[in-house]
Amino acid sequence: MGDVRDIMELERPATPEVTRESILGEKNKKRTSTGSKLPKRPEGMHREVYALLYNDNKDAPPLFPSDTGNGYKQTKIKLGMRKPRKWKWMPFTNPARMDSSTFYHWRRPSDEPKEYPFAKFNKKVDVPTYTDIEFNQHLRSDSWSKEETDHLMDLARRYDLRFIVMADRFDSDKFSKRSVEDIKDRYYKICGILNKTLQINGERKIYMYDADHERRRKEQLKKLYERKPEQMEEEQFLLGELKKIEARKKERERKTQDLQKLISQADSQNETPRKTDKKLPKKKIANPSRPSRIDTNQILQAVETAGIKFPDYKNSGVSLRSQRMKLPANVGQKKSKGIEQMLQDMGLELNPTPTEDICQHFNELRSDMVLLMEIKSALGTCEFELQSLRHQYEALTPGKTLAIPPQLLSTTMENETGKINSEIIDVVGSPGTPLNT
Amino acid sequence: MSLPTDFGPDSGGRIKGVCIVKPIVYGNVARYFGKKREEDGHTHQWTVYVKPYVNEDMSAYVKKVHFKLHESYTNQNRIVVKPPYEISETGWGEFEIVIKIHFHDPNERPATMYHILKLFHSGGTRDVSTENGKGLVSESLDEIVFQDPTQLMHHLLTNTKQLTLGRWEHNTNFEEKKEKTQKSIMDAKQKIRTEITQLKNKLKLAKETISQFKDEIAKAQDNQFML
Repeated sequence: MGDVRDIMELERPATPEVTRESILGEKNKKRTSTGSKLPKRPEGMHREVYALLYNDNKDAPPLFPSDTGNGYKQTKIKLGMRKPRKWKWMPFTNPARMDSSTFYHWRRPSDEPKEYPFAKFNKKVDVPTYTDIEFNQHLRSDSWSKEETDHLMDLARRYDLRFIVMADRFDSDKFSKRSVEDIKDRYYKICGILNKTLQINGERKIYMYDADHERRRKEQLKKLYERKPEQMEEEQFLLGELKKIEARKKERERKTQDLQKLISQADSQNETPRKTDKKLPKKKIANPSRPSRIDTNQILQAVETAGIKFPDYKNSGVSLRSQRMKLPANVGQKKSKGIEQMLQDMGLELNPTPTEDICQHFNELRSDMVLLMEIKSALGTCEFELQSLRHQYEALTPGKTLAIPPQLLSTTMENETGKINSEIIDVVGSPGTPLNT
Repeated sequence: MSLPTDFGPDSGGRIKGVCIVKPIVYGNVARYFGKKREEDGHTHQWTVYVKPYVNEDMSAYVKKVHFKLHESYTNQNRIVVKPPYEISETGWGEFEIVIKIHFHDPNERPATMYHILKLFHSGGTRDVSTENGKGLVSESLDEIVFQDPTQLMHHLLTNTKQLTLGRWEHNTNFEEKKEKTQKSIMDAKQKIRTEITQLKNKLKLAKETISQFKDEIAKAQDNQFML
C-alpha cells in the first residue's frame, strides 16, 4: 500500500492505515519496541535500490560469502543409465594394400570387425594389356618403340592414368621427352585398337582423343595467360571501336529503311489518278559513296508526287457528304495549318457547302496545296544544296565559282522583292523606274 | 404510315451500286428578347431544326431526330419523331448541339451532325444572316448519302410525298452560295496548279543544276589529283 502511494506520489493519509500491523496491534507494539527506526529513504533513490540496502530483516547484507553446504549447488547431471562402452587400440588390415601389413586404430571391441571402410575408395584403373604378337600385328608405330610403349603402359598402371604425373615420371633419359598430349594420344590409340581387335569390351565406347586440338587449346590458354597489360588495353580499345562501328551501321540501316518507306508511300500515291506529270529520275546518282546526296535526290522525287490521299467512301451505309471533306488523320498538324492559312489567304471557307462537285474540287485543291508546300520546301533544300556545292567548288578551285541560275535564288525573296517593287511603283507612280522588271 | 408487308426488317441485303442522296438543311434561328429576362437571365429565344432541302416528307424514312442540348437544360436529350423536326428553347449562351437522325431501317446507322447554336452576330461567320424581324439564322446544307441502301430503305427513300403544297423556301440561298463556292474553289485550284507547274519547272532546273555542279566538282577533283 505504501509502495503504491509512493509511486502515485500521494500524501499519506492522516487516518491510520488498515494494515496487518494495525489489525494485529500487539505485534506492532512489540516490533516498535525491539526494532530500531528505519532510516528514511533518501530523496531520488529508487525504491528497488533502497530495498536492496535494507531488506525485511533490517540487517545489513552479508559481507562474506556464506557456506551453508547445499546452497545453490546441485547434484551431478545423470545423462545415461548404461555403463559407457570401451574404446580399444586394435589391429586391422587394409584390403586395398597388397602387402597385407597390419595397422592399429581405436575401435570399440563391441563393434563387429568389418572390412576397413576406406578401402573401397582405392579404385584401380583397368589398363589394357597386350602380347608381343598383338603388338606386332596392331600396335606398331614409327614413333613409339615396343620398349617405350611398355614403359608408358607401366606408368599408366602405376599412376592410374594421372597423365600429368606420368609425363613427369617418363623416362626421358632412355627415351625422348614426351608431352602430356603425346602420352595421352598414344595411350588412347592403343586402347582403341585393342578394344576394336579383341572385342573384349565391345559395348564400351572408344574414347577419341584429339591431340592437335588439345595442343592448340593449351597454346591459346597460354597466350591468354601471358598477355601484357598494353595488349589487354589495346584489346579493350578495339572492342569499343567495334561496338561503335556496329552502332553506326545499325543507325544507317534504320535510316535507309525509313527512306524506303517514304519512297514506297510516294509510289503508292503515284498510282492514284492525278494529273501531275510524273518525272522519272533525271540522272543516276553521281556519287554513290555519299549517302546524304542520295537522300536528297530521292526525297525530291517523293516530293513531286506528294498530296493528300482522301479515303474512298465506297462502303455501303449512310454517311454525310461533309464527312468526305475531313482531312485524313495522316495529314499532320503543320500541313493542315498550312492549308488553313492558304484557304484564308485566298478568301475561301474552311468548310464549304458540301455538294458532290464541291467536295471533289475542294479535296483536290487541298491536295494540290500540300503538293505546293512540299515543292516549296524541296526547292529550299535544292537551293541549300546548290549553295553548299558552290562552296565546295570554290574551295577546290580557288578563284573560280559556279553560277546558280538567278530564278533559283531564294524563291521567297524574289517574290517579296517583286511585291515591294510594285508597291514602290504604286507609290511613286513612275513606271520608268529601273526597279520595274 | 403503311408499310408494304413484303419488306421485313431483315428482308434481303443491300442493293449494290445504288446511291441515293438526300440534301438537308440544319441550323438555328434566334431572336433577342431585347433585354435580359429577370427570372433566369435568359436573353434569347432560339429554335434548332432539321429540314429537307427539297419539298418532301422526311418522316417516310426518318424514324426520329435526336437533339442533344447543353447539359444545363432539363431533358438534355430531346427526341422528335415527326416533322417539323425542331426544338425551341430560351437561353443565354451558345453551345454545340449534336443532331442525330435515326432511320426506319435499323440496319442503317444514324447520321450525326454537329451544329454550333448561334445567338450573336460574330465576325467571320458567313452563315449568320439577319432576316426580316426573325433575328439571326445560322444554317448549313449537307447531304445524307445512302450508299447501297437496304431494300426497305430504298423503298422508303424513293416513295416520299410532298411536305407542303406551298412554296418550300430557306433562309439562305443555297443555290447561289453553292455556285459561288464552286467558282472560287475552281479559281483557287487553277491558281495553285499554275504555281505548282512553275515551281516544278524550277525544281527541274534546280536538279539539273545540281547535277551539273556535281560534274564540275568531280572534274575539279580529277584535276587536283592529276596535279
